[in-house]
Formats: sequence, structure tokens, C-alpha cells
Amino acid sequence: MLNLSNFVQKAQQLLDPNQGLNISDSDRNPSKAFLFQAQFRLPSTQHPLYEITAELTIPPANATQGDRDRERGYQYAGKLHLSESYLCFSTTPSSFLQSATTPTSSIFTGQTHGGGPSGNGFSFPLSSVRRVERLHSQNFQFALAITTWNGISQDAAKDKDRKDLKEQRITLQLAGSRPACERFCDGLKKGLRSNVGNVGKLKAVVGECYSEYLLRTEDKKNVNPPDAGLGMMFKYPGDPKKLRDRAKMRLWAEYLRDNGRNVTLIRQPTFHKLIRVGLPNRLRGEMWELTSGSIYLRLENPRLYADTLAKYSGQESLAIDEIEKDLNRSLPEYPGFQSEEGIGRLRRVLTAYSWVNADVGYCQAMNIVVAALLIYMSEAQAFFLLSALCDRLVPGYYSTTMYGTLLDQKVFESLVEKTMPILWEHLVKSDVQLSVVSLPWFLSLYINSMPLVFAFRVLDVFFVEGPKVLFQVGLAILRINGEELLDAADDGAFISVLKSYFSRLDESAHPKSENPKLRAVTRFQELMVVAFKEFSGITHNSITESRLKNKDAVLNNIESFAKRTAIRNLGPDSKLLSTDELGALYDRFYGVLYERQQRDHILKQELARRTKSTRTRANEGHATDDHGVEKGRVGLGPSTSLMDYDAFREFLAGMSKWAISDSPTTPRRELSGDRGSFYNSFRRSDAVLSPWGAGPEPADHEFLQRLFKKWDIGSASALTLQNVVSGMARIKGKRDIMGTINYFFELHDDDGDGKVDREGILRMSEALLFLSRRGLEGSLSPSSSTVALSGDSLHGGSDAPGQSVNERFLGSVSAFIRRCFEYADPDHPRNQNAIQDVQERLDAQKLEDLGDEELVNPDAFAIGDDDDDDDDDDDDDDDLLAMDSPTVSPKTGAIRSETLSSQPPLLQLNSSSTGLKTDDDTMNRRRVSKAQSEKANAALDPSNPLHITLPTFRMVVLADELLEQFFESSFPASFHILEGLSSSATPTSASSLTTFSSLGIGAGRAVNAALGGAPGAPAGGRGLRGVLDNIVTDGMRVAAEVRRRMEEAQKELEKNALPGQRNEDDDDDDEDETGLGRPLPGKGGAYRGDAERRSVRSSDRDLLTGADAEASDTNLAAGRTSTSGNGAGSSADTVVGTNSANKVVGVEFDG
Amino acid sequence: MADAGTGPKPSSSVKLVLLGEAAVGKSSLVLRFVNNDFQENKEPTIGAAFLTQKCNLPTRTIKFEIWDTAGQERFASLAPMYYRNAQAALVVYDLTKPTSLIKAKHWVAELQRQASPGIVIALVGNKLDLTNGGSGSEGEDAGGDVENDARKVSTEEAKTYAEEEGLLFFETSAKTGYNVSEVFTAIANAIPETSLKTARGPGAAHAAARTEEQRVNLNGARDPNAKEGCAC
Repeated sequence: MLNLSNFVQKAQQLLDPNQGLNISDSDRNPSKAFLFQAQFRLPSTQHPLYEITAELTIPPANATQGDRDRERGYQYAGKLHLSESYLCFSTTPSSFLQSATTPTSSIFTGQTHGGGPSGNGFSFPLSSVRRVERLHSQNFQFALAITTWNGISQDAAKDKDRKDLKEQRITLQLAGSRPACERFCDGLKKGLRSNVGNVGKLKAVVGECYSEYLLRTEDKKNVNPPDAGLGMMFKYPGDPKKLRDRAKMRLWAEYLRDNGRNVTLIRQPTFHKLIRVGLPNRLRGEMWELTSGSIYLRLENPRLYADTLAKYSGQESLAIDEIEKDLNRSLPEYPGFQSEEGIGRLRRVLTAYSWVNADVGYCQAMNIVVAALLIYMSEAQAFFLLSALCDRLVPGYYSTTMYGTLLDQKVFESLVEKTMPILWEHLVKSDVQLSVVSLPWFLSLYINSMPLVFAFRVLDVFFVEGPKVLFQVGLAILRINGEELLDAADDGAFISVLKSYFSRLDESAHPKSENPKLRAVTRFQELMVVAFKEFSGITHNSITESRLKNKDAVLNNIESFAKRTAIRNLGPDSKLLSTDELGALYDRFYGVLYERQQRDHILKQELARRTKSTRTRANEGHATDDHGVEKGRVGLGPSTSLMDYDAFREFLAGMSKWAISDSPTTPRRELSGDRGSFYNSFRRSDAVLSPWGAGPEPADHEFLQRLFKKWDIGSASALTLQNVVSGMARIKGKRDIMGTINYFFELHDDDGDGKVDREGILRMSEALLFLSRRGLEGSLSPSSSTVALSGDSLHGGSDAPGQSVNERFLGSVSAFIRRCFEYADPDHPRNQNAIQDVQERLDAQKLEDLGDEELVNPDAFAIGDDDDDDDDDDDDDDDLLAMDSPTVSPKTGAIRSETLSSQPPLLQLNSSSTGLKTDDDTMNRRRVSKAQSEKANAALDPSNPLHITLPTFRMVVLADELLEQFFESSFPASFHILEGLSSSATPTSASSLTTFSSLGIGAGRAVNAALGGAPGAPAGGRGLRGVLDNIVTDGMRVAAEVRRRMEEAQKELEKNALPGQRNEDDDDDDEDETGLGRPLPGKGGAYRGDAERRSVRSSDRDLLTGADAEASDTNLAAGRTSTSGNGAGSSADTVVGTNSANKVVGVEFDG
Repeated sequence: MADAGTGPKPSSSVKLVLLGEAAVGKSSLVLRFVNNDFQENKEPTIGAAFLTQKCNLPTRTIKFEIWDTAGQERFASLAPMYYRNAQAALVVYDLTKPTSLIKAKHWVAELQRQASPGIVIALVGNKLDLTNGGSGSEGEDAGGDVENDARKVSTEEAKTYAEEEGLLFFETSAKTGYNVSEVFTAIANAIPETSLKTARGPGAAHAAARTEEQRVNLNGARDPNAKEGCAC
């Protein structure tokens, strides 16, 4: 359920009917492995491999107890589970077989009657199993006797006859079919074998457990006790007498002696009772890590804490700054935290955790929780317990969005409403927000709400039974104070009622009672009874359900808050876009990131499943990382807020037609590795497995790369939302043609020196073709002034069949290239001669390509008839141009119409470029015009570095109505920020628009033509539109070709050293296709006309300079209003540009 | 509301929320105001701390219900819970830390859009003691002495912003106590009388009516006759 926005959701549903594969699904149907780990508190590396019904027999306490009245010992029926490294027994009969239903697998989440989710039983690391024997049994087919490494830390191999340390030996009778039992035993054997190596680790880990010291043998009486927290140095909170610490310790020692210590401990009902009455100080830490399962994390990687500290020693981070601020203010009333020792421990644990879990980093309240842990446990123990807390016990509490905290507040509120409706009604009526009071309870696990001794009692139970305890205690607090709370009318009163309650927890709950026993009951005891008796119905299951129910709402809240904040905090650029647009950009930005992460995760899972299923059948279906499923959603905390280039492509493809690839099946460069082949092999089986999900594959074009680079202000190879918004604001924000033109220019001005060289010009034109290849958008109707002035001719032109806007645009782009070269400034005027040669060769090449294109439509549109009214500058210009190229009639209107109308057919011919037949007539005509145009087009020589400046670029753009419209409207409009593409673009795939056939899910994955975007659709589907597409794509190819040849020519030139010494013999070979590889030809004519050409050119240039100046001044003001037409500056531009267009086209395409 | 004021003067509660970047001195300002105390190390605020303090105006007594929020960035999403129904807000920044003013501006924008419409907002630049003009002296103009001046946000800049947004503006030092009670007094005076009569009564419709009144009276509340002393 994606709630990033309605739109995104809808769009995705539209595109991907398989959207069921999302996070909520894993929430509702947690994997068996996840449930297994949750029940036994095992690390996420463990999976349920085998399970079997069994009966556990714990032999009666022997010699040390001297009590033999129970011959057979204790027996428990339950289930035995085997994972990679653990053998677990539980009286809770949950099953984690793949075939088991979810309720069967999650029985442990129901009422546990104080036994905790793992019930009675044990969770032995296989490394702690010393020996397994098969016993002969009559009742059961299989009986195993298991001997553990109980007390391994003192197990000196020699003293076999230690009398204090009794060997822990239990029997398990397996109840199952013979093959099932054998399978289980085989698995066990394998597991034992592979865990032999971990015994050393085990020894080290349990060595830090206080129980080993407590039960130490006589000969080790004088060893130092392991670190059981700061309490050993600074005293434990509370009065040990009052806490009856000694008595508790005695009971525990007895229990541990009989039932195993630390990892080999067997949980029997007494265990849970002992926990309920409060743990003794020195065992508290060990029991916390055992019941929470954090000891298993420690066992898995005992050196992680020390290694992490060493690895990051001396490094700085934001989290560390935040930690430093709080070190002196964590349980400051406890003496240990007024000392450097305590502060140092706290600093190290928090810092190490912030490194291993950078997503969480540091959250205030963690300091308080960790400080509390450190009173009872060593640094390493606290470190792993903090991990268990953040990952499993209170997930999301300390994340950057704190969604877990907020979610549990919602859950708590709903529980209050359900269990105490009257109080709830009162709260609502008096407008008291419960979470204002209860949030700190949960966030700091009651540690800074209650006096420490009581908070620790809550923690004792919390680590066994899980987060439901927090709810039970919270509800009990409200229930007990219900009367007084009903009198509280506002937040303040509410808070003070509870404050005073917490301060009197040690007082008698019934001070006035006659019954001394009742009088002895403290308020805290009362609280515990109410919590666990009265609210025993609050189970892990009901909490989980309620969390599921509220999750979306909470995440949505967080997300809308985050969105609101993020959008508001975007820089001043963002003001250029509307709030709706910003919102949509935000949704798209995070939507793409989220989508990609999900996809990546699914792919990884799929990969894991595949590799796994080939290995072991039993393992089937378990992904290694069940916890990572939820990453990515904004509300869940930091996933990523950076958009890389691929994500950027996908982002653009979601709103711009041109950003969608034409040939989706072609594996893009980043997929060329094994990743790519993996995707490919899966593509057909599941659309979701496509690297682009269900969406269209984005195009990869140099323009996209440029845009990315441009937006990537920090050069981080990744975009932030701010980058994207700023980037978009510049294109779409101002709705100002000059702004857009400037932007486009800057985009191609690599070194930012205000000049774009030959390469850049070609790139620009390629970009223009790239952007327009799926048609132009926006308002393409002519601007009002031109409508007024040119009358119907333009309309006629645009409506004419075969003269679509796209074709015209292609012509405009061709003209653009020409004009750019024409008006480019040479960097080194000396080299100008060389231009000629290249130019001619290119032209000649063109001729072949073009074949005959005599189609001229004199009635076609003409831009800028307005220049009839133009001032002297224009007339001069006309004259100059006329002089320059005699074929051009001085009457600009006519020229223009010819120029423009000649373009489309020309391009059509391009598209069928095989037509090489040229009749002499045309040829001759071309030669003439070519020779003439050459004079004006020296700029095309690659050996002659040249550039256009922004004013030139502007002028050239404004010279062409279509280009002008492109920049004014269609380019900005091509970003469909708000509405996206799904509705506007995708449906057209049904039509004959071949390039869009790729958009259909799956279907479009069929092989397309290999040629850069050339559509390979079935011929039958080819309508007019298909032809046009061909034209467009061919146009791009032409541009690419032009460019390639320029490059080759450039190389040639370099090879041939000085331009003046060229071989004249090659004159006539330049029409030869292979001519490109030859030494550059020289053209006599060109040289002859040199002087004249130059003079024309220079006067031309002067004029242009004038126009430039004018353009830069007036056009800024008149840019938009040039539509209204009489502004001298803008019309001057138009004239110059249009005239040159004639020439340009004449050379480049007409020869 | 049942709280007995010191005199026969009407007493009413005002919910005030403190917002601002971490470690700008929100809690210290409150501590100075409530207990006239200053602590170097205070337990960090988890969620929010709740304190009350009365402020005696000549005509009435204002009981501030102060919600001192956690400054850490990730607690920001909890803030709406605390500024809900707040009649006043103190947005604090650190004079020596320009980023904290940016954050403060974010909070102001957030409050203006999301909090009760009539909310009285005061922008407070804290840690004046670290600047040359600080330590309680009235003369803000430190002259040419730039040495040892940790000030990074000019009075002018913040003040201009405060005026643009219609905020009360103060520079304070929680450490020396300079200008602290003045902030609260000014807020007390800026709270429109009409909105105090009922204080924080229950009922959504009622609250809406109240905010209407506040909206109407907000401008009036800023006039100079509100500059009265406060005995807190």
C-alpha cells in the first residue's frame, strides 16, 4: 500500500496489477523464519530447518539437591526446533513448516501466561551441546540424551570428578514417523558438526556472564567477577535489603544450578516466577540479555563491539555530536554517571551503536535507556541489547521518523479507548492528548517516568515477554489512577496526577486496610498485578494487529508532515513552482526511490531464493533478510534521499515522454554485467523483476546525463530533492522563454565560459531531436503576433498532411544547426579556410543521402511576415544576404516560405536514405547553391574552433518560430509533474505510434530494432504516425551522422597538419562515401571566393553583433511579448535568423 | 483555572510551546523563567517537558502551561502534538549559530500554517551572554570591538525577519537571565484578553470560536499600551 500520494498509487495500480508484493503483505504474512526468530529471540541468520514433536525430560535434581522424590524428573510436551545453529524446545506448540498456517506459526504471540513467547523449554546454541546419544526407548521410536557444555568456562578438562559441577543432561523423546525422526537427527548431526568450531566463541561469551562466577567452583573462589555493570562500582539503585537481593540471589543460584546457566538454561515455570518478583542486581544484566536474545547476537559476533570502536576510533559524525550533548544528562542522579567511568561507557556504547546502525544513529532517550542498561551490564552486553531493542523489541522507536513511537502511541490510545471507554471519553472531551503523557513512558521504557527500581522491574518482564508489557503497564497506570484522572481537566492536571502517582509507587496500595498482608502490598505490586492480570488479554498478537491497523495512518501522517516540512524548507527556487507541483515532485522523487528499493529488495530475495532452492529444499522460501522488507518508505525513516542517475532517468520517464526509451529490451550499460543477465532471464516470468519495475524503461541519452549533471549541484553523483526542485524550477518555474533558452544553453556550456563549441552545437541539436522525437507538447499554436501578421498561411501549413509539427520541428532543428554554424564566432580566425573543405564534403555526402527532393510547397507556412514592416537594419540584412546568395530573392517572405516548406520532404528523403539516385539537374542546381552557400558557411570547419555565445543561441532560436515555441512552451510542458504520463502517454501505445509499443508491460519487451531507437513495429501497424516517427528518429540519425563525419574530418585535419597544404587532387572524390577517410580535399572555388566571402561574412557578423546586443537587451523584455509583435528588437532577430535560415538550409540539405 | 491567583485578579491559563533547534537553550530559558535557575547539564527533553509558571499582569494573572519540546531533529514530527491548541509559541535560536535561525524560520512557517490561527509567536535569540553586547547590558551596540564576539546572527537581520512575519522579538541570555522574563511578559500581554476569558476550554467548536477572536484581536494586542510590567 503506497501512500506517497493518491496519484502515485493509482498510477502504480494502473501499471502494475501485481502490486500486492509490497510491505504490508510481509506485515500480514510474516515469513516463517521471522516468526521463528521472534519466538526464540534468535538472530536473523537462523531459519527453522527441522521441527518435530517431542517430550522433554529434565532429570530430577541430583546430589547437590539431595531431593529425589521425583523419580522421573520434570516432563514437558512441546516442539523441538532445529535451525542452523540452535536447538530450541518450547512448550508452545507453534510450527514453522512452510505448510503451517500463519496462526499455527504464531501461537506464541497469543496469551503466554507469563511464560513469554518462547514458553518453557530451552534455546541451546548447538555449540553448547556437548554430546548427543541415542537412547533405547520402548514408547518412542527415538529418544535422545543431550549433554551440554553447562559451565563450560570452568570446564578444565582434567577435573572430571568435580563434585560441584553436575553435568547437565536432558532427554528428548521424539514423537514422529521414523523418517521424520531420522531426518531431524541427520539435521542435528550436521548442525552439530558445523558448530563445533564455535565452542571457543561460546566459552568467551559466557565467560562474561555473572552466573559463571556465581556458580564458580571452589578452586576458583578468588577469581574476579565479570563486569555486571556500573552497579558493582557505584552500587545498584535501591536498598538491597528492601529489594531482598540476597534472597533472590540464593533462589537464582539454586535455579541455575539445577537448570543450567546462561545459554544452557532451561526455562521452567519457576524461572518466570523468579523474573516477576524482580531480578537480583548482579544477575539482572545476564537475564536481560538472555531473555531478550541479545546474548545470541553477542555469541554470533563477540568482537563486534570492540571492533566497531576500534574501526571508527577518532571519527566524527552528527550522531556523535548529538551524543556528546547528552552524555552529562543521562540519569545524572545516578553516581555512576557523574563519573568519567560511567560517562565513558555510555559514550562508547552509544557511539558504537550509531556506527553499526547509522540509519538510527542516535536518538534522545537512547541515552537514558543505555545508561540504565549500563548499571547492570557490561558495555558489550549493553551494546547488543541496544541492538535487540532497536531491531526487534521496540522497532522504529528511535528511528529518524520515530514512527514506531508514534505508532505505539496510536495503538495505546486505541487500547485505552477499548478498555477504559469512560476515561477515553473524558480525555477526548477535555481535549487532553494522551500521548503527550504516555509517549515518554514508551520511548524511555518507563526509565525516566518511574523511580529506577520500579522501572527495572518493568524491564525485567519486558525483556521476557516483549513490548506488550509496555502497554499492559501503561493501561494499568491509567486504570489505577482512573478516578483522579477523570477529575483532571487539562494536560497539566493530567500530568501532575501521574507524576505524583509515580513518586509514591513504593507506598502501600491499601494503607488503610485492616489486613496487614494487604497493607504490605505496595502500589508498584498493585500495578504489576493489574497490568498482568487485568490486562492479560493484551497479547503480542493483539498489539501486532493493532499496529497493522494503524500503521498506514501513522506513516501517512509522518509522511505528510515530512512532505510539508520538506517542501516548505526547500530553497527560494521552489517558490517558482506551485505547491501542487512541489508536492507532486516530492511524491515522484520519493516514489521512484521507494519503488527502486522495493524492486531491488525483491530481486535480491528472488536471487537468494534461487540460489537457496538449488541448495536445500528445506530452506525454500526463506529470504535471508526479513527485516529489510520495509525499508524505503519515507515514514519508516531514512532509506535514501539521494537519487542516482538511473533513478533520475526513471523519475523523468514518469513524467516526460521523451525520457522513455525507444528500445526497451536493449540492456542498458549498467545492466551489462551479470546483473543485467539476471534481469533478463527473469523478465518474462515476472514484470516486477524488470529493473524498471512495471514502468516504462527510461531512455538513456546524453541530454539526460547533462541534465543530471546540471542538477547535481554538489557533484555528488546523486540528486537531493532540493536539487531536483531547483533544477525543475529553472525549467518550469519561470515560464519565461529567455530563461528556458538560457538554461538550455548553460546545459551545453560545459566549462561555463558562456560559449558552446561545435561539439556543443551538435549536442544541442541532438538534444532537441531527442526531446521532440515523440512529438511536441504545449501550445504550439503560433504566437498572436505571428498569427496576426502571417495570417492563415501558418495554419495552413501546420494542418497540411505530411507537414506535422514534428516534421517542421525537424526542419527547424536542421536550420538550427546551420544557423549556429553560420553565426558562430571563430576562436582562431586563422583557420577559417579549412571550413570550406569539410563543408563541401559534407554537403556532397548529403547529396547522396538526400536524393531528389524537389517537393516544394510554396504555400507552406512562413514565419515572420512581419519583417516587411521592419526597420533599416533588416533591410540591410536582406540586402547582405541577397548579395551573398543570389538564388534567394530579396523578398524575404518568399524566401522564407520556400525555405521552410522545403524541409519536410527533404527529411522524408532522409529517412529513406538509400535512395542514391540523383539526376543531374538537381545535382547541378545543388552545386550552384552549395558553392554559394559555402561562402557563408565557413564556420563548419572542424579545424576551426568556433563557438556560439548565448546571445547568438538566443537569436538562432528566436529566428525559428517552432524553436521559439519549443522553448517557450513545449519543453517546459513536456515535464508532466502533476499529471504524469500514465494517463496521457501510455494509452497511445494502442495506436500506431510504434515507439510506444514498448510501454505495454511485458509486451513491449519484445525485441525491437537495434538501430538507435528506430522502431521495428510490424508493418501493418504503421500509420502515418509511424512514418513520422521514422522521420524523427532518422533525423536524429542524421544529426549523429553529421557529427560523426565532422569528427572524422577533424581527425583528418589533424593528421594533415597545416590546412594550407592540402592535396587538391581529391576534388571530385568527395562524393565517394569512403571519402571521409581520405585526406581532406581542397576546393578551388572556395579559395577564389574567399575574399568576397570574408567581406560578406564580416559585415554579416557586424550586423549580428548588433542584433546580439539588441537581443540581449530587448528580448529579455520582449521575449514573451514578441508575440505582440512590433518590438523592433525581436523582429530584427527574426529577420536575421530567417534569412540565414534560407541560406543554411540551402547548404546543408539542398546542397 | 481553579488555581487560586495571588489576588482577586482573574487568572487564566495560556498554553505556550517552545520550539527550536537542539541545544539553543529552550529548556534553559524555561528553567530560568520558572525557577530562576541555570544548569549546565539538564536531562534532555524526551518528547516534551511540561512546566507551569504564573505571570502577574496588572489586570490579570496568566498561568503559563509551558511545553518544552525536544530539539533533536527527529522529534520534529512529534511537535504538532505539542503545539496543538497552543496560544503562544517561543521559537528559539542561538545567536551564535546561523543555522539555528534557519531552523527557527522553519518553525515559524510551520506554526503559521499549522498551529491555531491566532497563535502569538515570539522569536528569541538566546545566548546573548556569548556576544559583546550581552551580559545583560542594554547597549546592544558593541562598537568596533569584534574580538571574542561569537555573535553570528545580527540583531538587525532577525529583527527585520520578525517584523516581516509579525513576531515578537527578543534577544536573551538564559545564563544571565537577561530579557528572559520580558519575553514571557510580552507574550502574556500579547495574548488577546478575549481569548483568556475561557482559557483552554473543551470542545472543538469552542476552540474554533476562540481562535476567531484571537485572529480579530491579534493586531490590537500589539499596541504599546500592552507594555506593562510583570511580576514574575
